[in-house]
Amino acid sequence: MLIAIARRLALSLVTLFMLAVFVFVATEIMPGDALDVSLSADEIAMIPPERLAQMKRDLGLDRPAHERLGAFLGGVVQLDFGRTLMSKTPVTTIVGYPYRNSLILAAAVLLVAIPFALAIGIAAAVWRGRPIDNIVSTVAVIGYSIPEFVIGTVLVMLFAVTWPIFPATITASTRDPALTLLAASPLAVATVVIGSVAYLARLVRTGMIEALASDFVERLRLTGIPEWRIVFRHALPAAIIPSLTAMALYAAALVSGIVVVELVFAYPGLGQELVRAVTRREVHVVQAIALGSAAIVVALNLLADLAILALDPRTRRA
Amino acid sequence: MILFLRRLSRRPLTMLGLALVGGHLAVAALAPWITPYDPLRLLEAPLEPPTATFWLGTDELGRDFFSRLLLGGQISIVAAACAGLIAAFGGGLLGLATAFYRGAFDDAVSRIVEMKLSIPAILLVSLFVTGFGQSLGVLILVMGLIYMMGVIRTSRALGMTLMEQGYVKAAKLRGETATAIILREMLPNIADLLTVEFALRTSSALLLVSALSFLGLGISPPTPDWGLMIQSGLQSIRSEPWLILAPALCVSTLVIGINFATEGVADLLGLEAARGATGQ
Repeated sequence: MLIAIARRLALSLVTLFMLAVFVFVATEIMPGDALDVSLSADEIAMIPPERLAQMKRDLGLDRPAHERLGAFLGGVVQLDFGRTLMSKTPVTTIVGYPYRNSLILAAAVLLVAIPFALAIGIAAAVWRGRPIDNIVSTVAVIGYSIPEFVIGTVLVMLFAVTWPIFPATITASTRDPALTLLAASPLAVATVVIGSVAYLARLVRTGMIEALASDFVERLRLTGIPEWRIVFRHALPAAIIPSLTAMALYAAALVSGIVVVELVFAYPGLGQELVRAVTRREVHVVQAIALGSAAIVVALNLLADLAILALDPRTRRA
Repeated sequence: MILFLRRLSRRPLTMLGLALVGGHLAVAALAPWITPYDPLRLLEAPLEPPTATFWLGTDELGRDFFSRLLLGGQISIVAAACAGLIAAFGGGLLGLATAFYRGAFDDAVSRIVEMKLSIPAILLVSLFVTGFGQSLGVLILVMGLIYMMGVIRTSRALGMTLMEQGYVKAAKLRGETATAIILREMLPNIADLLTVEFALRTSSALLLVSALSFLGLGISPPTPDWGLMIQSGLQSIRSEPWLILAPALCVSTLVIGINFATEGVADLLGLEAARGATGQ
């Protein structure tokens, strides 16, 4: 068991390391260096050559690529992504609070979405082929087909404009405590929850149908155990495992969704920071955000793997 | 084939999906001929309400909103379909190649797939937009590469089972080259899968393009585009909500249509395959 856990931990670290290398290489293959990307051609033409050379030296751009990769990785380990070119603010300072805020949003979404998805998915599987199942399956496809920013905008129209129950945009500021932020953003949470439930409920339904059709459930039925006990006590753990395996895709979609929804509601998270950084062409900030959110995905995957270890004794050997 | 079509016609949701997709494609293809006004010309005062001449009123710059709505899907549909094609073909070939060669090549590709799947698509695109600027070509290429990862997984799994089939073994014994076996023996057998993958990846790419345009990182103004239109409609959400609702309805019905259609067709293809395997 301990060895299995250690293996999963090590794999996550390797993935994170490779992600860091990938982010560096992706920036490296872009035309020009960090300076060319951040400044327009006109701006570069206006800077005298010796000053330009000095700026490049400051940024370490005159060193060979492998040395810079080393420096970049060394920085990442210490959570140091360098400073922005113009204002010289450390990237970590810029990204820190928005990162925390996005994590808060993600945690709130998962806390609300998972129970709903479980309840709906189980109900659809138990009453398979009945009206409730057909409705759930159809609504789920519609739910994950509508872009998050559309769901968010429509929720604003309904619950902030037509019936002004909730605020349309979030008034809380970047450094507010978690609960203040969440209290100010019920519609933002609801938006991501809708897409998540649509996606997760289908996974749970499929897993549950498979589990309910398996031999061990049939045997339990023959022993006369009440059906509800079979569903919740015996079939559920087996049904959740395939959904957990699909966690990688869901986690990435969750982070993407959060980034977009934050912009709809002006939530002070990574999404806002990302768009600001891309339009200002601050490569270091984009790098930090890309790596940071990939780290969320890797962490959620790790959690899913550990949950599988807990649920499925067969995976503990290895 | 006729049997297939007859089964298809018995699924109302699948038919609805096909109709939605067909309608959207027809409008997008015919848009240059059926738009009443030039979508880029400033015709009227901005934010006019709908009238008999301007069916959906004018947008924030005074352009005919209905004309822009008709054209608003074109670029994103083409971009998403190109990305879907790159993903399906590239992913199919790479997946089969990993199944064929296994070993170190398989390990390397699988690692990359796993890693790429952990970076949320929007962030990967943002990273490249920062470096290359907003260009449709880069956008299509990056999306194609992102969605290729999932296709590699599924076609690798199917390729593994194909490797056990008699005709693939026979081709190997005949001494045919790897390229010939992958292209002639294996690729035709995953055509069904790749068609479904193409549709699925195209619908994901559509969602991504519209989200990126909404964020201001995808298609750039003044091109008419649903994501962009929704974004600029936010300014007048209280007074002119239809400026948001109309493009929102368009993009949603298109993606819902693709997903309904794909689900039905995939289900039927699965049934056909299962019948073919056991029905003799």
